[in-house]
Amino acid sequence: MTLNAKKALVAALSVVFLGSLLIVAWIEGGKQRFAPEPESLLSEESRGCYRCHLEKTPAIVGQWIGSRHGALGIGCFECHRAEEKDVDGWKHGGRWIATIVTPDDCKRCHAAIADEFSKSAHSRAADVAGSMDAVLAERLQGRASAQVGCERCHGMKVEFRRDEAGKIVKDSEGKPLFAEGVWPNTGMGRINPDGSRGACTACHSRHRFDIAMARRPEACGKCHTGPDHPQEEIYTESKHGVAFTNALSQGLMHLEKREWVVGRDYSAAPTCATCHMSATPDLPMTHDPSSRLSWTCRPAVSVHPEDWEINRDNMKSVCMNCHSPAWVDGHFAQYDAAVDLWNRRFGEPGLKIMEALAGAGLITPKPFDDPIEWTWYFLWHREGRQARMGSAMMGPNYAQWEGFAEVAAHFFDRFVPQARELAKARPEASGALEQVLASPEYDGFRAAGDEDRSRAEAFYRGRYRQGIR
Amino acid sequence: MIAKRFLAERLPLRTGALREGLNEPIPGHLKRWWFALGGTPLYLFLVQVVTGILLTFYYVPAPDRAYDSVRRITEEVSFGWWIRSLHRWSSHLMIASVILHVLRVFFTATYRKPREFTWMVGAAVLGTTFFFGFTGYSLVYEQLSYWGATVAGNLTAAAPLVGPFLARMLRGGETISDNTLTRFFVLHIGILPTVLFLLVGAHLLLVRLHGVSRLESPAEEDRRTFPFFPDHVLTECVVFLTLTVLLNTLACAFPAGLSERADPLNPPPHIKPEWYFYFTFRWLKLTGLKTAVATLGAAGAVFLLWPFVDAGLRRRRPGSEASLLLGALGFLGVVALTVWEALA
Repeated sequence: MTLNAKKALVAALSVVFLGSLLIVAWIEGGKQRFAPEPESLLSEESRGCYRCHLEKTPAIVGQWIGSRHGALGIGCFECHRAEEKDVDGWKHGGRWIATIVTPDDCKRCHAAIADEFSKSAHSRAADVAGSMDAVLAERLQGRASAQVGCERCHGMKVEFRRDEAGKIVKDSEGKPLFAEGVWPNTGMGRINPDGSRGACTACHSRHRFDIAMARRPEACGKCHTGPDHPQEEIYTESKHGVAFTNALSQGLMHLEKREWVVGRDYSAAPTCATCHMSATPDLPMTHDPSSRLSWTCRPAVSVHPEDWEINRDNMKSVCMNCHSPAWVDGHFAQYDAAVDLWNRRFGEPGLKIMEALAGAGLITPKPFDDPIEWTWYFLWHREGRQARMGSAMMGPNYAQWEGFAEVAAHFFDRFVPQARELAKARPEASGALEQVLASPEYDGFRAAGDEDRSRAEAFYRGRYRQGIR
Repeated sequence: MIAKRFLAERLPLRTGALREGLNEPIPGHLKRWWFALGGTPLYLFLVQVVTGILLTFYYVPAPDRAYDSVRRITEEVSFGWWIRSLHRWSSHLMIASVILHVLRVFFTATYRKPREFTWMVGAAVLGTTFFFGFTGYSLVYEQLSYWGATVAGNLTAAAPLVGPFLARMLRGGETISDNTLTRFFVLHIGILPTVLFLLVGAHLLLVRLHGVSRLESPAEEDRRTFPFFPDHVLTECVVFLTLTVLLNTLACAFPAGLSERADPLNPPPHIKPEWYFYFTFRWLKLTGLKTAVATLGAAGAVFLLWPFVDAGLRRRRPGSEASLLLGALGFLGVVALTVWEALA
């Protein structure tokens, strides 16, 4: 090739090179050009909301833009739309909308999930209004405390302010006004004006509806915490929680994945969602966490729910993604034994003793006016639950020191002496009490004696060079 | 004139020497395109340096952030996809061109006395380039990155005597850990570029000291020489421009993607290294860890010292084509293992 031909070739290739740079620029420009403006994807109705609320509530709009709904163009109106006949509906910006988005609204797109949720204990969370907890909150603490405490998790009935004629009071824009104290109300079992129960935003915080956030243990921990249901604390102290903290710091949880199947999308640690809700290679995702529970540890005496064998198999199937059958069977055998122990030694006898005292008229029908009622309530409702839930979720401290140790101490040292003192007044009550306590279940306690004391003395003297008395 | 004198006083360059250097007579056979393969990897390396520097503006060498930073580069940063794709494709082309250059030198036997050191430095360039590629894809922190590094760590540890020490040095501990990514990063952006610059410098210096090699029995038109500038420079310009257009085309048509994030507890069922390690991976699967390390180590040593091995063979059997045959067999073996692994 001649020198001139080479020069011509270099010139031609330079032009091609510049042309290829234009293609690069076109692709880059296209990335920006085709990145859809949120507004362009919206329906006509939602576009109006978007424009105005971008000014008035930019943070809400910002959350929504970053959400999957935002990416798909599912706008304000698609979720907030209402009919003129709806109790909570009002005309805003020329359209009928409702402030509250209920599971029935979400159901328009998420039908299967809404149906699952409606079967779950979560959807019945507001039923707590009939419990001793509600008596404590409403009668002893006061209404306002129930609203900011219990109902923030359990939800309450959404009611509107009404005039003397019973008509809903509206503001100058025609928006119905909530009855005093019922809003905010994003508790799991909210009873909605359309009759549906629940608030999807309890876990899927609006307006981002971040699936990764809902899968984090902290999402459940907003409510499943504290002395009467310390699931988050138990999880955190368990090996599962330790592994999660570690895996999260290493970026191994992939919480943002669409399906999030254990063993396929992640494997480093489970969160609450993994065991109770999320998909496995063998189980579909469920919004009814009860479908994997084989005991309920909430009442004084634990019982199996309906279909508990199926639920047990479901949960075992989840466990076996990471554990061997021997491990899983062994865990459930230990858990069953711990729950049985609670029922036999503390739950059932305690209930019998309280019924005997009540039957003999030694405690009044009025709740929480006898000291023994407090002792019994805290025994099963706090310590007893901690013992059982700690056993369920492999939290040794909650099973032992926050659980069974407190239970045993308060049962034998507080509850039984208080019951004996009350029963003195009625021989039949005293007889019933002693009959309960004569059970072989307490043989171990009765048998504790000098030998145990001597052994303990020897232990402390040997290890710490001091006695224990 | 004043400006020229001002500069000449302050930069006393010997323009005569520069002209002499640029007018180095080039043997006629270098007019053939495939003899321009030596400059190709150098050009691609420069592309890698420029794009690599731009990538370090956004890359974060921490296990919990590396993958996301690469994703950000690919999806969010302006022209990030392009820079990353150029970097990736130029790495593939660089490795391919170094291999082709080695093959050309081997089969034209231009490594023979007195150019043994030139070959050895070139062999070191090839090894460094492989190591460059390996540390590069490890930085992405996708599944291939993590498990590739695991396999490489195990291979290194299986080497006799110094293996465990080298593996510990490479990984920053007994296993892949936070230290590993930092070490790979430092290797990839600091140590290896320096080593490669020094090796390429030494390689070019040796080429200039010995002069470009002559073919053993050149054709008549190859006996003539031509000037380095502008003739050969223009040839290289054509090669560089063609490569640039090719790189742009590859970057636009097949931009660098991103597979699964590294998961140390979840080895993927089917994993393969980059294509240039296929032959070692297949050999590893065929022979087992210890044998593979021993045989690959021995083959590497023979490759490095090939000019002396070749000289020994020719001394024993003058006129024989045994060296050529052995090289051809070795090359075919590597190709066969590579194809086998690719199809597996």
